[in-house]
Amino acid sequence: MQAAVRMDEAELIRAAQQGDQRAFEQLVRLYDQSVLRLATNLLRSPEEANDIYQEAFLRVFKNLHTFRFDCSFHTWLYRIVSNLCLDALRKRKVRREESSVIETSEGLLDRMDAVEERRADSDPERSLESQELKQRIQQVLGGLTPRERAVFEMRHYQGMRLRTIGEVMGTSEEAAKNCLFRATQKMRAALGDFV
Amino acid sequence: MTCEETRKNLPLFLYGELSFDEEEQVEVHVDECDACRLALAREKALFQALDGAEMVPAPQLLEESRVELRRRLGTLRGNSGMRAPSIWDKLREGFTIHFHFAPGIAQVAGAAAMLVLGFLTARMAPNSLLGNWHSAGLVDPATSRVRYVEPMAPGRVQIVIDETHQRVLSGRLDDQAIQRLLLTAAKDPSDAGLRVESVDLLKNNSQSAEIRSALVYALEHDSNAGVRLKALDGLKQFAEDPDTRKALTQVLLTDDNPGVRTQVIDLLVQRHTDAMVGVLQELLEKEDNGYIRMRCQKVLQEMNASAETY
Repeated sequence: MQAAVRMDEAELIRAAQQGDQRAFEQLVRLYDQSVLRLATNLLRSPEEANDIYQEAFLRVFKNLHTFRFDCSFHTWLYRIVSNLCLDALRKRKVRREESSVIETSEGLLDRMDAVEERRADSDPERSLESQELKQRIQQVLGGLTPRERAVFEMRHYQGMRLRTIGEVMGTSEEAAKNCLFRATQKMRAALGDFV
Repeated sequence: MTCEETRKNLPLFLYGELSFDEEEQVEVHVDECDACRLALAREKALFQALDGAEMVPAPQLLEESRVELRRRLGTLRGNSGMRAPSIWDKLREGFTIHFHFAPGIAQVAGAAAMLVLGFLTARMAPNSLLGNWHSAGLVDPATSRVRYVEPMAPGRVQIVIDETHQRVLSGRLDDQAIQRLLLTAAKDPSDAGLRVESVDLLKNNSQSAEIRSALVYALEHDSNAGVRLKALDGLKQFAEDPDTRKALTQVLLTDDNPGVRTQVIDLLVQRHTDAMVGVLQELLEKEDNGYIRMRCQKVLQEMNASAETY
C-alpha cells in the first residue's frame, strides 16, 4: 500500500510540475488536513493556522518546479510548514501572548471555538479529566521552546518518526531525540501532580 | 539498566523510539522493579492526558482554508500566467510554434494565410465533411476527444471518441441511483479528494449491504489514509459483525498508517475474544507505535494472556 501511495504521489507531483491544476489540488488534499492540524496544534490559533496553511501551499506552488525527489514530498512540505510555524512562534515570543478571547461587535468570541478537542466526546476514556488539567497542559506547551514544541507535536500528535523529524527540522535524529526528551521532561515535571 | 536510565528512557520507550536492545533492557528492568513499573504507569497516564489535549481543526476551518487557497492560487495563476494547458492551448501552441522564430511580419502573414485557408475550406468542402457531425451532435470539440482510430474495410475507418459531458444531479442520499454514482466515485483512482467525500457521504447509509461492502473494500484497499479513516467511521457500528471484525483485524495487522491502526484497535478491543489474543501478540512483534503497543499489552494483561508468542 505504501508503494501505491508513493506512486500516486509521484505522478501527481510530476503532473503538477507541468502545470496541471487538478493534480496540484489533489496533492494539496493529500496533506492539507495534517498541515492544518500541525499548525493548529503548534500555534493554538485558528487564524494563524490558516495563515500558515495559505503560506505553505503558496510556497509549494511557487517552488514545486525545484522539487527534485531527493527527499519525500512529505518531508519537503513539512520542512516548509515547520519553518513557518517556528518563525511564527519565535515572533510570538517577542510580543505579548494574545488571549484566545477577543472582543467583537457581537460580544466576546473565543477564537478556539474553531477547533475541536480531539475525541472529546467520542472517547471519554481518553478525554481530559478536568478543565484544570487542560489549562495546565496549555501552559506547559506554551512554556516549551519553539523547537521542543515542534518536535513534540510532530512525534506525539502526527506520529512521525524521530529520523523524519530530524530531516524536516534540518538536524540529526539524535538532536531531535534530545529535544523530545527535554519536552517530555518539562511536561512530566509540570503535570506530574495531575496524572 | 539502572532506575535512573530506565526512567529517562520511558518516553522514548512509549514512542517506540528505542533500539531493540534498549527496549529489551527497559522491559526487563520494569518487570523486576516496582518503582519503575509505577513510573511507567504514570508516564502512560501523562501520554493519555496529552492525547486528549490535541486540537483538531473544525471541518469548517479546513473548508474555509481550502476556499481561500483556491482563490489565492487563482489570483497567482492569473498574475503569472501559470495555468494548466487545455487541449486548445496545446493546439494553439502547435500552430504558433513555427512563428516564434519568424519576424513579426511573418506572423502577420501566417495569420492571414490561416484566415484565407479557413474561408476557402468552409466554402469548398462538402457539408458532409464539416458541419454535419457537429450539427448532428456526433462530436463536440469542447467535450470530445478522439481516443483512437482503426482502419476497417478499404475506404472506411472506425473512430473511438472519449466524451466528457458535465451534468448536475441532485437527490436524496438514500436514493439508489445517487448511491450508485457515489459508489462509483468512491473508487475513482484518479481523485483521492473525491473518494474521501464520496465515502463520507456513503458511510451514513452503511445499513445497505452493498455500501458496507464498499466501505470494507475502501478500508482494505484504498491507497489514501483519509479515505480509509472515513470508511472506518462508517463501519464502527458493525464492529461486532464477524465479517467486519475479520476485515478490521486484517487492517490492524497490515495498514501502514498509525492513525488508522489506532482507531481500529480501539474498536476491536471493545470486546475481548479469544481470537484476539493471537492477533495482538502478532501485532506486538512488529508494532512500533507506543499507544497501540500499550493498548495491546493492556488487553492481553486483562485477558491473562502473555504479550509474547512462543
